[in-house]
Amino acid sequence: MLAGILLFFIPGRIRFVKELISILAVMAALYSSIVLFGTGDKLISVDDALRTGYQAHHNCLLADHGSICFQVDGLSRLIVLFLGIFGLLILVYCLTYNKGRIKGFYSWYLITLGASYGAVLSDNLLLFIIFWGVLGITLYKLIPGTDEASSAAAKKTLIIIGASDGIMILGIAIIWKICGTLSMADVSLPTSGALTAAAFLALLTGSFTKAGAFPFHSWIPDYAQYSPASSAAFLPASLDKLLGIYFLARITTDLFILTDPWRMLLLSLGVITIVAAVLMALVQHNCRRLLGFHAVSQVGYMVLGFSLGSMLGVAAGLFHMLNNVIYKSGLFLTAGNVEFRTGKEDIDELGDLSRSMPLTFFGAIVFALSISGIPPLNGFASKWMIYQAIIDFGSGSGLPNKLWILWLGLAVFGSALTLASFIKFIGGIFLSGKKQEFAQVREVPVLMWAPLILLALGCLLFGIFATGIILPRLLMPVSGVFVPAGFWNSSLVSVLVLISVLLGICLYLITGMKKFRTEDSFIGGEKLYETTGYPVSGFYHTLKEFRLMAWFYQKAEERWFDVYELSKRFTLWLSSLASRAHSGILPHYTVWIIAGLIILLMIMNT
Amino acid sequence: MGKELLYYLVFPGFIFLAFVGGLFSWADRKISAWVQFRKGPPLLQPFYDFFKLLLVKETILPSRGSKLTFLLAPVFGLAGALLSGIMILLPAFGLRQGFSGDVIVIFYMLTIPSLTYIIGALAAGNPLASVGASREVKLVISYELTFLLAIAAIISKSGMVTGLHQIIAVQQSQGAFAGSFSGILLVAVFVLCIQAKLGFVPFDMAEAETEITHGCFIEYSGAAYSLIKLTKYMMLFILPAFLCAMLLGGFRFNGIGFLWAFLKLIGVLLLITLIRNTNPRIRIDQAMRFFLIWMNLLVIVAIILDYFNF
Repeated sequence: MLAGILLFFIPGRIRFVKELISILAVMAALYSSIVLFGTGDKLISVDDALRTGYQAHHNCLLADHGSICFQVDGLSRLIVLFLGIFGLLILVYCLTYNKGRIKGFYSWYLITLGASYGAVLSDNLLLFIIFWGVLGITLYKLIPGTDEASSAAAKKTLIIIGASDGIMILGIAIIWKICGTLSMADVSLPTSGALTAAAFLALLTGSFTKAGAFPFHSWIPDYAQYSPASSAAFLPASLDKLLGIYFLARITTDLFILTDPWRMLLLSLGVITIVAAVLMALVQHNCRRLLGFHAVSQVGYMVLGFSLGSMLGVAAGLFHMLNNVIYKSGLFLTAGNVEFRTGKEDIDELGDLSRSMPLTFFGAIVFALSISGIPPLNGFASKWMIYQAIIDFGSGSGLPNKLWILWLGLAVFGSALTLASFIKFIGGIFLSGKKQEFAQVREVPVLMWAPLILLALGCLLFGIFATGIILPRLLMPVSGVFVPAGFWNSSLVSVLVLISVLLGICLYLITGMKKFRTEDSFIGGEKLYETTGYPVSGFYHTLKEFRLMAWFYQKAEERWFDVYELSKRFTLWLSSLASRAHSGILPHYTVWIIAGLIILLMIMNT
Repeated sequence: MGKELLYYLVFPGFIFLAFVGGLFSWADRKISAWVQFRKGPPLLQPFYDFFKLLLVKETILPSRGSKLTFLLAPVFGLAGALLSGIMILLPAFGLRQGFSGDVIVIFYMLTIPSLTYIIGALAAGNPLASVGASREVKLVISYELTFLLAIAAIISKSGMVTGLHQIIAVQQSQGAFAGSFSGILLVAVFVLCIQAKLGFVPFDMAEAETEITHGCFIEYSGAAYSLIKLTKYMMLFILPAFLCAMLLGGFRFNGIGFLWAFLKLIGVLLLITLIRNTNPRIRIDQAMRFFLIWMNLLVIVAIILDYFNF
């Protein structure tokens, strides 16, 4: 009940504040801080309400045969908690980062947050799609759209999201036709018939577009590149993942019952997403675009988890989603910090920031190792669970079960490639080559690094306590109780790593400290200039030389894998067909008109 | 906790691994010497090397680059090697207590040393180290998939269990996996992956002494380099032991079992060293093509053979 009231309360407040902002645009910054305090309180109260055992399952505000219902179950509770946490953290970050970047940022921010709560909590599909649609618009508004590139990216985002919303409405209509109800709790369809299959595909499109899985991923890299880092961290990295995967979880576990061919489709899309997106990420030079491709690639793991259909798989998918949200928004904030201080985003132009920005560097390296799945960090814990789920799935008898080695192999290969591209990210921005122009760069202000460090600690804690606390306390209530097949004791390993690092530092201190000396590098007798170096962006040129890879990259550059470009081409082709009819000759037009009249008459006759 | 710490630091952890790893390194050098008609070093030479670096030599830090990262990378590498070593050796020695990790965990743990070499090399700020790092990353990408497919094939051979002790138990009741056609293929693939993981010829392009003067490790000296040496010694023992546990039926420690265990390990080491001494270094693109196409194909053949119970 409280959540429902809050939900209406937040947009109400926003509209009020938004009006104020539009009147007093100059004082936007001032009001935003007031709004911030308001939001902070509300978020905490939501969280409190959840913690005090707000267990009600069907919490109807207008109990009109469940027509408009808010549902609070384990899944939505978990998502709402994380929505709150990320809303707060990123808003704190925005306070310094976002000065004067986007008009009315805070009001759009709050509407986004409010609509997300609404989408997650609503049980009625119609209500859900309304909130979902609002989110599409706010996504458009959170990108500045002042220069050509960014407005093109915003337009692309709006069109892709809008089209997927349209398809979703179609899917919901089909569900209503079949079941006669729009309440998610009551719908449970087998995916065997053609009509239900169409509904499933339609809803799947919506969730894939939101989360950014292949083939509806192409708005994410553009959005990540051209929007401010805070928007990128807020929407594609955290909120849209939470929502898209939330909806995926709903449709794969609640709304529909999957059959083998559908599993096969989902699994294939999952591994294609993982590998293709990470291959694109390998060759990017803009660090935010690189992150954008990773935001796509990670979705593949979650899709894998959910499509396996076991409790372990669902828990693994959810866990990976939470972890991904933590490290991916952290990475976008890192990129934001770097851009904030240096004004540059290209990996080639950056370098050697590890000494001038130590906290950002620490955060970046934790996030990067985490996303690459290095034990004992959180990314490893959830990937490990997904692998366990795949192996577990492999003992089944269907065709997708028999192909488990394929899913496992490609998932792990994707993880190795992720590591490779993050070596580029870390090496290029923080380690390689000294650049004179960055001599004056300092660490960012506290309001910017604090969220980053908190997220990094989140990565560490989620990794260290993965098997002991997070799994039984946070995930099992959602997915159901299960026993993982493999063996992994995260806390013990973490303690041992800590001990060995301490011992290592002691070793350095005891044996070598007095014998440390700093010297210039020796490069085989050549003279070492300021600019001498081997740029990390050249690391993967070897890959481009392979024929298959060269083909892939060339096609990707021509945007053959981009739904937006493909549909644009198709539309242009259609309109060129239509324009051919406009020949400008009067007899042709008369023929068209008469033909149309005849057809009309024939239809009326029948 | 005390028991785990004992495992970690003494047996089969740090001290044991360092000692045996050193001996293995000596054996490797001795065999290489015989192949090249030299006399070879004395038994304790690896330990002399290690202690000289640790205690006598000064540590020179690079002036460009991040010093803290540069120094901490080998520590993390050593920790990764140790943990993977313990996770392999505890089940291989038949000890069921303490911490366990399944083969997927071991697989990930085994990549940590390579990763730390790369990060350390990037932190060194030396262009030659960067070249080495770039090659090491590409090598990791290429053998990772092959290595994992081989492990997955073994998981499916052992009836979808992922614990190393379970895999050993299956082999000890039904005979080693290497006794089948698919098993032999897997052994071949595994040995080549080990070769790449250890950075031995023909896959030593990341270090390539004659070309980029030890690549990744060019800037390391003194205590930091001694840790890297130690990690390499340990890996030289851990990886053959992993192969023995995964495919050659593990070890039995009763009477003749000791001899067998010893022979298995020495046999794998001999194979690796001989490959190392009789091959030229290949280029990185050749290595990538070799693993990504031919080795993967070989594993897939092994998996298909296994499917038909060969």
